[in-house]
Amino acid sequence: MARWGMVIDLDKCVGCQACSLACKAENNVPHGSPYEQKRHQDMYWHKVIAATEGEYPAVNTQIIPMPCMHCEHPPCVTVCPAKATFKREDGIVMQNFRRCIGCRYCMVACPYGARNFNFKTQESEEYQRPDLPPDLDLGFASHIGPWPYPHRTRGVVEKCTYCFHRIDQALERGWEIGSKIDGEDGVLPACVEACPTEARYFGDLDDPDSAVSRLLASRTYMELREEMGTDPQTRYLPR
Amino acid sequence: MSQAATDKPDSPEPKRSNGFRISRRAFLGVSAAAAAVLTVVLALRRPKLAEPVETQTTKAVDTQQLIPTSCLNCPTRCAIRVRKVQTTAGETKVVRIFGNPNSTYSEGKCCSRSHVGLQVLYNPDRFQTPLIRTSGTKGRGVNFETDFEVASWEDAMTAIAGRLPTAPGRLLILEGLNTTSNEDLIRQFALAYGTPNLFVEDGLETDADREGKMLADGRSNSWYELQAEDETSTKYILAFSAGIVESERPLARNLHLWGELRRGTPNRTKVVSFDPRYSVTACRADEWVPINPGTEGALAMAIAHVILSEGLYDSDFINNYADGFNKYRTVAMTQRFSPESVSEIAGVSADAIVRIAREFAQSKPAIAWSGEAATSWPYGTFASHAIYCLNALVGSIDVPGGIVYQQYPPYAVMPTEGLPITETGISFQKMAELLRDRGINTAIGFNSNLIMSVPESKEGGKWDETLKNLFYVHIGPAKSEMAAYADVILPACTYLEDWGYESAIPGSGYAEARIKQPVVEPRDESRPTARILFDLTSVTPLAGPFSPVPSTPEEFPLAFAQYRTSPFIGWVDFQSVGVWKGSSYSYRSYAFGTTSGKFEFHSDHLERLLNVRLPGEDTVYPLELAIYRPVLEIRSGSQNFPWAQEMYLVMHGRGWKNLVEINRETAHEYGIGEGDEVIVESVFGEIEGEARVLEGMRPGVVAIATGQGHFASGRFADGMGANPNDVIGTEYDEESGQPSFFATRVKVRKA
Repeated sequence: MARWGMVIDLDKCVGCQACSLACKAENNVPHGSPYEQKRHQDMYWHKVIAATEGEYPAVNTQIIPMPCMHCEHPPCVTVCPAKATFKREDGIVMQNFRRCIGCRYCMVACPYGARNFNFKTQESEEYQRPDLPPDLDLGFASHIGPWPYPHRTRGVVEKCTYCFHRIDQALERGWEIGSKIDGEDGVLPACVEACPTEARYFGDLDDPDSAVSRLLASRTYMELREEMGTDPQTRYLPR
Repeated sequence: MSQAATDKPDSPEPKRSNGFRISRRAFLGVSAAAAAVLTVVLALRRPKLAEPVETQTTKAVDTQQLIPTSCLNCPTRCAIRVRKVQTTAGETKVVRIFGNPNSTYSEGKCCSRSHVGLQVLYNPDRFQTPLIRTSGTKGRGVNFETDFEVASWEDAMTAIAGRLPTAPGRLLILEGLNTTSNEDLIRQFALAYGTPNLFVEDGLETDADREGKMLADGRSNSWYELQAEDETSTKYILAFSAGIVESERPLARNLHLWGELRRGTPNRTKVVSFDPRYSVTACRADEWVPINPGTEGALAMAIAHVILSEGLYDSDFINNYADGFNKYRTVAMTQRFSPESVSEIAGVSADAIVRIAREFAQSKPAIAWSGEAATSWPYGTFASHAIYCLNALVGSIDVPGGIVYQQYPPYAVMPTEGLPITETGISFQKMAELLRDRGINTAIGFNSNLIMSVPESKEGGKWDETLKNLFYVHIGPAKSEMAAYADVILPACTYLEDWGYESAIPGSGYAEARIKQPVVEPRDESRPTARILFDLTSVTPLAGPFSPVPSTPEEFPLAFAQYRTSPFIGWVDFQSVGVWKGSSYSYRSYAFGTTSGKFEFHSDHLERLLNVRLPGEDTVYPLELAIYRPVLEIRSGSQNFPWAQEMYLVMHGRGWKNLVEINRETAHEYGIGEGDEVIVESVFGEIEGEARVLEGMRPGVVAIATGQGHFASGRFADGMGANPNDVIGTEYDEESGQPSFFATRVKVRKA
């Protein structure tokens, strides 16, 4: 079983937010409004943040794309009283919308702010993905479907899934992750595929020959909030 | 409802028994049996664990297609592929947009703007039918539902035909962002109608830059290649206020090559950004050198001074292919352009100028990139020329990784009789003068949003008044500010519903053509722009031939695209591949279009670059206003796209507005704090906005992003932020007539 991980090269990233937009489109994440943004109620499974330090003229801003870290030791899973969030064998931290009771403990526990609470019923005119199945089978733990399509559930917590549906479907068809298949879009999470600078890499961390493993071996990398001991599977290559 | 009311505990009526009695024991028994049945039913209905993914997937989707076409959310016009699905329920939906890997121009990558295409197509504020104005005032306060009446296409065309001027010169054609094929047709329409007054809005930001470059090499198609096909890369980039990864075209190519240059080559490319503002480009560059606004040209001359005095220039290129060099050298070598003198104007240390000049001259190929903020000044053409000359000094003209001259696909010919209309049309200054002198009484706008992007765009301002006096026909897909001034609105389809072709804009050297084919049928009653033009020609008497293709109105858009692309690619191939690529670029042809046939160094105007106004020189308006274009400013004129809106300013993590960005010290001086509502005031007017106090800004400069401040673009755009153009005054670039957007002084106070 592979252990999926993502590597983001901060030297290549230019903060264009193609990743965030591709994520919104791929996962049918509802758009917000000025009202919701003011109250931090708008939803992003992926967000690009900017952190600035220093004084003029020695300013330094880090632009950091933030998907879920898919921690090896995810605090969100530990605190969930309903077992609605769980870690798959391949390392992807999933959310079962039918089990979720909306207590939001996981949002408090997550050191990365990677989780979103769905405050609203999705409007019908929003951009649905009718092509994505409502009940993609994921094995026993989630057989009643973690899938928010074509309509999502109000009052539950949502999060990045590393586009598990794209990964699972590709493996099902016998495609290699990261390969280019004629007439299909890439066999990668949407954000990785959409990145115009090719700053993002996705692959098996356990496979020493995968692109991600080779990158991690060749350059120093960092993990966000390493001191929390979460051991994130989304890692960053600094400049 | 009434039943519920009677069941209330405080209801005066006593509850009536229904006669059904059951003991507690019996109730428990029945409940247990029901629960057991339910459990069995649920267990049986549970999906089998081993059920394959495939079968469940096909339940939702009947067919899906990946259709090659091209984007039109900015002038780069990337090749894209659009995923369309048809569900078993019979619903057709466009769900995703991807880059087209057949396009080598940006290696099949497209930028964040392309994803917004879904919301361009499904914009809830699109026009459904032609509209004819019946009442109401034009401009702000327009109500598209009550001020207009729904019309048939025939009635709308008749209404236009009756109002088009018989003197062709009194018609103005405004061209916003359009497909290359539609641009060709619009120009053809202008030629056939007989009007020379074609204004291309793209020129509002590029005219001065292009003019400065043309002054040197006589070509209008030069651009920075960054990486050649053989992977020779630019080694050093001097960005003169150029937002290379934010707004400079060709954006997707820039973004892709940025990653390549930084990590994909053995020797990482160094990028130095001269910019008053800590832009995304400055942030991602190796070095940010804050400068005073408008001093880019002077700085370029100081760098030239160092290169010339230290003999670091490319003598081979200079001796063989340059003209006017000796005079240029004499002027540039004078004390006024020494790093020490210029450092006082530009606010950069002389040491830094010397160091950067040496690095620049010694890392080949190196390029000097002039951005909009460097050239949108009264001396913009000269600044552009001075910066461009740096490329010639280090021999980066027509070499791999340097400046290249774009080639275009060999399209089939068009009828060319008529007036000389250049691709760039008339200058902004010319258009403004024509309108002011009332030489023009009718205008047709093709996806135009002129009022949002001209200086003094405010209500009651010059442009507001001018546009109200015109008979204006607006052709575009969705609500916009220009549509608010319209007398007749014709709903054009979006780029995802249209036939056509696109040419790659300067950047790659080699030619590339991309197809535009409808992904879905035009929504509601919208029609392709090509067809609208075809219909217009049948209701209007034209002087010359309009179309090279005889056709019917319905067939025309497709027939025209097929005709024009027929010399180089078969239509069926084009439809499936989506892209045609020309032969590889041949370097070092040095085919300059100047009178001398050489690269011309001009030196008469260099003095002008030193004559700049600096922040703080004026006591009433002590600050300088700078505008910038964030990456998610969709360049089609509308901003009614919630995805783009909610992550509009990545550096500030904010959306749905723009901010008044100001240096911390300057803000402190004027008593302004983070998040304060402030008023930005110039002699031309005032706007209100939220203050953003930050470190990454030259003291004395106020920066505001463009693209917001819409008032008639629809539900997601109206009332978000302010339009900085409202307070910018009209000054023109002295050569090209482009408005100089950066020459306005302001003061900022708390609201």
